[in-house]
Amino acid sequence: MIEVEHLNKVYGSTSAIEDVTFNVEEGEILGFLGPNGAGKTTTMRILTGYLPATSGTARIAGFDVHENSLAVRQKIGYLPENPPLYPEMTVEGFLFFVSRIKGVSAGDRKNKVAAAMERCNLTDKRHVLIRKLSKGYRQRVGIAQAIVHDPPAIVLDEPTVGLDPRQIIDVRNLIKSLAGSHTIILSTHILPEVSMTCNRVAIINRGKVVTTNTLDNLMNELTGGSGYELELEGDAALAKQMLQNLAGVNLVESIPMLGGDGKKVLEQNRVRMRVVSETGSEPGSAIASALYQGGFSLHEMRRINATLEDVFLQLTREEQTLESHPENEEVNVGEAA
Amino acid sequence: MGIVLGNIIAIYRRELQTYFVSPLAYAIAGIFWFLAGLFFVLILLGPDGILAAVANLEIRAQRFGFPMPAIDVPYEFIKVFLDRMGWLLLFILPILSMGLYAEERKRGTLELLATSPITNWAVAVGKLMGVLTFFITLILPLIVLEAMVLSASEPPSPLTVPLLGHLGLILLAASILSLGMFVSSLTNSTILSAVLTFAVILMLLFMDLVAQTIGGPIGAAIGHLSLLKHYNNMIQGIFDSSSLILFFSYIILGIFLTAQSIDAFRFQRQ
Repeated sequence: MIEVEHLNKVYGSTSAIEDVTFNVEEGEILGFLGPNGAGKTTTMRILTGYLPATSGTARIAGFDVHENSLAVRQKIGYLPENPPLYPEMTVEGFLFFVSRIKGVSAGDRKNKVAAAMERCNLTDKRHVLIRKLSKGYRQRVGIAQAIVHDPPAIVLDEPTVGLDPRQIIDVRNLIKSLAGSHTIILSTHILPEVSMTCNRVAIINRGKVVTTNTLDNLMNELTGGSGYELELEGDAALAKQMLQNLAGVNLVESIPMLGGDGKKVLEQNRVRMRVVSETGSEPGSAIASALYQGGFSLHEMRRINATLEDVFLQLTREEQTLESHPENEEVNVGEAA
Repeated sequence: MGIVLGNIIAIYRRELQTYFVSPLAYAIAGIFWFLAGLFFVLILLGPDGILAAVANLEIRAQRFGFPMPAIDVPYEFIKVFLDRMGWLLLFILPILSMGLYAEERKRGTLELLATSPITNWAVAVGKLMGVLTFFITLILPLIVLEAMVLSASEPPSPLTVPLLGHLGLILLAASILSLGMFVSSLTNSTILSAVLTFAVILMLLFMDLVAQTIGGPIGAAIGHLSLLKHYNNMIQGIFDSSSLILFFSYIILGIFLTAQSIDAFRFQRQ
C-alpha cells in the first residue's frame, strides 16, 4: 500500500533523511519511531506530497507521490504535528470544508462528515467553534479531518502529543479501530504507544531507518533486554568472570547501585550487575547455584524482559556510542530505568 | 474542470465565512464607512465643497455679468468622490489582504491545503474572489450615497460614468489585493505583510510620479503601467480597453506569483 524506496532529503548542506526505505502492507499500522529531530516529520511530509524528496521514490496505492501528487493527495489523510484547524469555524463547518477540498462528492459529504464526527466522538460538539475547544478535542478534530474522506492511507504525526492520559487512551483506541480498513503510519516518540497500537515498527535515527520489523521479532532479535539483574556481595570481578563462563550467558555488565532518590549508593561491598542471556536460554538456576557455590551472597535476583524501550535505546544509541565514550552507556541505562 | 470549480468555491466560501466572524473585518468596515460618509459630506456640503464652489461661481457670474458656465454637478461629485475613495483604499487594502496566506502559514493550515487534492491556483483564485467579495460589500453603501446625489440631478445624468467609475474602483482593488495576496504568501507575519503591501502600493504611486517627471516615451511607457492613471481615466468616464487589460494583467500576475511562491515555499522549507 505504501512503498518508500531510498528516500533522501537534503536541506542546503544538511541531510534530513538518508536512504529511507520501508513498506506498509494494506490494513497495517506501522509505528514510526524515533527521537525528536530524527526525520519523522520530514518523511511524512514527503509521503503526503507536502515536500518533494531530493531523491528516491514513494508510492501510495501505486501512485508516485511526486508525479501523481493530486491522485496521492486524494488517497491520503494527514494529521500534521500541529492540527491544521481554522479556529473561527465550527467543527461541522470545518469538516464540510475539508470534505469539499478533499473531493468528496456532494451527495456523500453529509454521511462522511457525520461518520467522522461519530468515530472521533465529536457529534455533541458539532456546532462549537474550534477556537473554544480544549486541546484534546482539537486533536480529535485533527484526526477527524484526516479521515473524513475515508482515505485508504492515513498518516498521523504524533497524534497523542499534549493529551491527558484518558484522551491518549481514546485516541489510541480510535487509531486501532481504523486499522484493517485503512493503512496507517503513526509517528511517535512515546514507546508504549507503539507497543499498544502498532503491528510493525520502523525505527529511525538521524535520518536513517535503523530497523523495520514486527514488535515480537524485534524484541527477540535484540539481546539488549532479557536476562537477570543481580545484587550480590563479594568480589565483583570474580563474579563477573564466573558468570561469563556459564552456558546461555551472553554478557555480564555492572550497573550502578541506585538509591531511592536515584543517586548512586555505595553500600558495603555490594555490586549490581546485569546478566544478559542468549535468546531462548534460561540460565537462571545455573546463575543462582554458581553464585551459591562460589561463596557469594545473593541479595536480589530479578528477571528482566526486553522492553521496547531497551530496543529503542539500543538501536538509537549505537552510533552515539561509537563516536563518543562507551562509559556513557551505563549512565544511559540508569536513566532509562 | 467541475472539480477545480468546486475547489475554488470551497475556498471562496471559507474565506467569506472568516470575514463574517472576524472582528477586524467589522472594524475595517466601520472605519471605512465612517470615512466614506465624512468625505461625502465634505465634498458635497463642506466649505470647499462642490455646492459651495458652484454657488460662488454663480454669485460672481451675476455680479460681473458673465454667463454662468454649465456645470455637471453629479459628474463632478462622482469624479472627486471616487478619487478620494481610491486614496482611502490604498490604506485599507493592505489590511484586507495581509492575512490571506500569512494567517494560513502561521496556523499551519497551509499544510492542509497543500496536502489536499487542490492546486495552488485554485486556492489563490478562491481567496482573491473571497476578499474581493468582501471589498464589494464594503463599497455597496457608497452607491446609496451616490444615488442620493444622482437622483437630485436635473436633467437626470447618465449612469455610465458612475458605473464605469465603480468598475474601475473594483478593478483597482482587485489588482492591489492580488499583489497583496502575493506579498502575504511570502511571510507568516500579518503585520509584515501589511507593511510590505503598503510599500508595494507606494511604489506604484511613485511609478506615476516618475512617469510624470521623466516624460517622453520612457515616461509614457512607465505611465502606462500605472494603476492610478488608468483608474483616474475610468472615473472620468474614459473607457479604454488597455485599462482593462492592464488591470487584468496585474490580477493574473498576482495570482501567478502567489501560486509560484507557495510552491517555492514548500520546496525549500526547513
